[in-house]
Amino acid sequence: MSHDTHHAPVASKLDLAPERSDLGLLRPDRSTGLMDWLTTVDHKKIGILYGAFAMFFFLLGGVEALAIRTQLARPDNDFVTARMYNQLFTMHGTTMIFLGVMPLSAAFFNFLIPLQIGARDVAFPRLNAFSLWTFVAGSFVLNASWLFEFGHLAGWFKDFAWYKSLVYTDFAPANGWFSYAPLSGTFGQADAALHAPRFTGVGTDFWIIGLQILGVASLAASFNFICTIVNMRAKGMTMMRLPVFTWMTLITAILIILAFPAITVALIQLMFDRQFGANFFNPSAGGQPILWQHLFWIFGHPEVYILVLPAMGIVSEILPTFSGKSLFGYPIIVFSGAVIGFLGFAVWSHHMFTTGLGAVPTAAFALLTMAIAVPTGVKIFNWLGTIWGGRIRFTPPMVLALGFIWMFMCGGFSGVMHSSAPADSQQQDSYFVIAHFHYVLLGGVLLGLMAGLYFWFPKIFGRMPKASVAYVASGMVILGFNLAFGPMHYLGLAGMPRRTHTYHAGMGWDTWNFVATIGAFILGIGVFLAFANLVWTAFKGEKCSSDPWDGRTLEWSLPSPVPEYNFARSPIISARDAYIEHKHGGHKIGYESDGGEAGVHMPSQSWMPMLASFGFLLIGMGMPMLAMMIPHAGWIVIAGIGILFLGIWLWALEGPGGYMLKTPSGSTSPSPVSATSSTH
Amino acid sequence: MSQVAESSHAPTSTGIDHKKLIMWLFLASDCMFFGTLISTHLIYRKLYPTGFTDAEGHQHFVQRLFDIELTSFSTFILLMSSFLMALAVSAMHKGQIKSFRRNVLGVIIFGLIFLGCQVYEFTHFYHMGLTIQNSVFGSTFYVLTGTHGTHVAIGVLWLILLYFYSFTGKLGGHVGALDVEVAGLYWHFVDIVWIIIFTVVYLIEYLGPNGFWGTGLPIAK
Repeated sequence: MSHDTHHAPVASKLDLAPERSDLGLLRPDRSTGLMDWLTTVDHKKIGILYGAFAMFFFLLGGVEALAIRTQLARPDNDFVTARMYNQLFTMHGTTMIFLGVMPLSAAFFNFLIPLQIGARDVAFPRLNAFSLWTFVAGSFVLNASWLFEFGHLAGWFKDFAWYKSLVYTDFAPANGWFSYAPLSGTFGQADAALHAPRFTGVGTDFWIIGLQILGVASLAASFNFICTIVNMRAKGMTMMRLPVFTWMTLITAILIILAFPAITVALIQLMFDRQFGANFFNPSAGGQPILWQHLFWIFGHPEVYILVLPAMGIVSEILPTFSGKSLFGYPIIVFSGAVIGFLGFAVWSHHMFTTGLGAVPTAAFALLTMAIAVPTGVKIFNWLGTIWGGRIRFTPPMVLALGFIWMFMCGGFSGVMHSSAPADSQQQDSYFVIAHFHYVLLGGVLLGLMAGLYFWFPKIFGRMPKASVAYVASGMVILGFNLAFGPMHYLGLAGMPRRTHTYHAGMGWDTWNFVATIGAFILGIGVFLAFANLVWTAFKGEKCSSDPWDGRTLEWSLPSPVPEYNFARSPIISARDAYIEHKHGGHKIGYESDGGEAGVHMPSQSWMPMLASFGFLLIGMGMPMLAMMIPHAGWIVIAGIGILFLGIWLWALEGPGGYMLKTPSGSTSPSPVSATSSTH
Repeated sequence: MSQVAESSHAPTSTGIDHKKLIMWLFLASDCMFFGTLISTHLIYRKLYPTGFTDAEGHQHFVQRLFDIELTSFSTFILLMSSFLMALAVSAMHKGQIKSFRRNVLGVIIFGLIFLGCQVYEFTHFYHMGLTIQNSVFGSTFYVLTGTHGTHVAIGVLWLILLYFYSFTGKLGGHVGALDVEVAGLYWHFVDIVWIIIFTVVYLIEYLGPNGFWGTGLPIAK
């Protein structure tokens, strides 16, 4: 079969003979450096790239947040204009959710899932690269709106006809992260060029197409990961032996493939309204703006669980490790995760209590929302049960994981308050809501993800982050976070509305806004310090053993950094928490007789996923330019669609390829456990 | 060399091929996609049962707009294309490449006939006064059926590529049969979606004396 390679097994991919794909093009398999990273299909490198981009966007979103807090530090402030303020909070929310948390979770999925299930790669390595680069394309499109905005502020476009014809000039998205119609949509009748009058500038068009592209990336990655987890488990790795992080990834991926189509359709409809004069949400033609809210939250509420379940999975790995106990109630934790995922689709209207749904739907959604607190509470009790009676070791990941439980619980409590519709109608659109979801998403998810970073960083790079810096950073994050968002509960109940550019003195909001701003800066410095510590560690950090925490799951049985083939010989699993059982229990990890001199099959690297993603970049840049009436912008879109199809076509035709890599054939057992590294 | 081929297609945990599994996952996602589009159409249809108004201000009724004979014909054609697709998959599993080519060519031609009917229908409706801009019905109808048409077009393009690829001699064996089967899954799904669209968008307009939405005959023309 021409699909398969003719290579003899090699020790390093640099020894490979030049190989041509079915298309006759040279495969980029033997490349190093930048070429290697751009064409990689290795899930570990893709995970690192996801992580690097996510951390960058976290800092960018953080800068946007600090600009918001600076503006709100004192009453009647004019640090930024109201127009810029709208763009800042919109891009802050969108960036943190879609370019910060989701890709950072994806970084963990990529790096860990194959290692935790005993596989050598994901099911579709090139599709995985496509997900990464499509995410990069989407993030570029979203943030390109800032470039246009700065061009506008600097007056670069003054002489252009298209610029003079613009009614609204907010180039960055300015509708909030949910872009409610009709504000994001159109009104009146479309003209001959199919443009109906709009309420907002082209920033909304950047937002629509950027999110659409990010959706493609998330969907492709989720198909890949469900396939990998269901289909590529090592021998003996039954579903109920999967590490909890893998389980939560599976549930998250299922949520993504079922929830994202709703936003995809909503975005298509909004795009047709804005760019082709359709009437889905156009009130003057009978369109119902409330439909946008329903479609958005049918996606948006599962999205909340898409954000939080991976962090819950991470914490479920960290707590047992540093408590020296197995996870309390593993099946219940897994089941609760599945119930949360299922109920997550049945509570979307609690975001819309004040829209007047009627008594019965409101009561039903209130009840279902209260019900979702049950599986969440079950998880928290299970985590407490895990720590209970354990021999607790305090390490940076453990401190952050414990912080996660506390902060997430606070967010959960105010969440239960929102579930009561009468209470919610008072809290709606106030700072109380801001406080609630930041406790969930920042105090919860970000702390969980940071815990994960500090936990697995030694595995990823074989270097240990400095604990002292990590403790200082964690302390600043937790302190700054509570200082910033704790007072917002009070501010909200005292009547301070969301999304307002400024407030007058004498409303009773001055003090706590100032405190919140100080907290935000402490938090910002803390996150920066935590990330800087990691980046420094990746290059210069102190080398550490392959199992510095006395880890429980399969990834800790591998050398650090993990070799490109992952497992020299495929493992055979006979217990949950396979590696701790192997070290201290009766169930040893067995190994198959693959690998060694015969080599293991490695997928070939490819340019095609990136080429296809480049098509998305052109589509994403072209559509808003079309909305700006920039001449010939339509050709950019057409070229983008062409390149997308060309990339996919060449991708199919080049064949999967592959080569054989020799693995060490000596001892197959994991690195021996020294007496000092074990606390048992 | 055969060993190499084996190792790249290692047995999966469930016994289901990766490609088939990922296509089923995609289809699950696509169910939600079309579910959202069809819901949008039905919600607006219920809200505005009286049809649409054209540029001259004339009121039109959907019953009078549709050409149910033509749409029934194109639906039948699409159904038959699914039958041919099943034959193509079966032929590929038996290694009968010539039979595969014949049948898949049939699917392509039937798919193109369906698309041709849709293009005709869109043009016809446009001349009757229905545009994407002049009414909510126009927006939901064109975007829903247009999205389905795009799915059919992508399917046709995929099958054309498979058809020509079969002449290179590289389409064969287990992998080839799997590739064709996966394309078949997609094609059948797109067909099933059309059956639903045909029922809830077209047929129910003719239910009972006044149509499912309770609207009568045109007031003015």
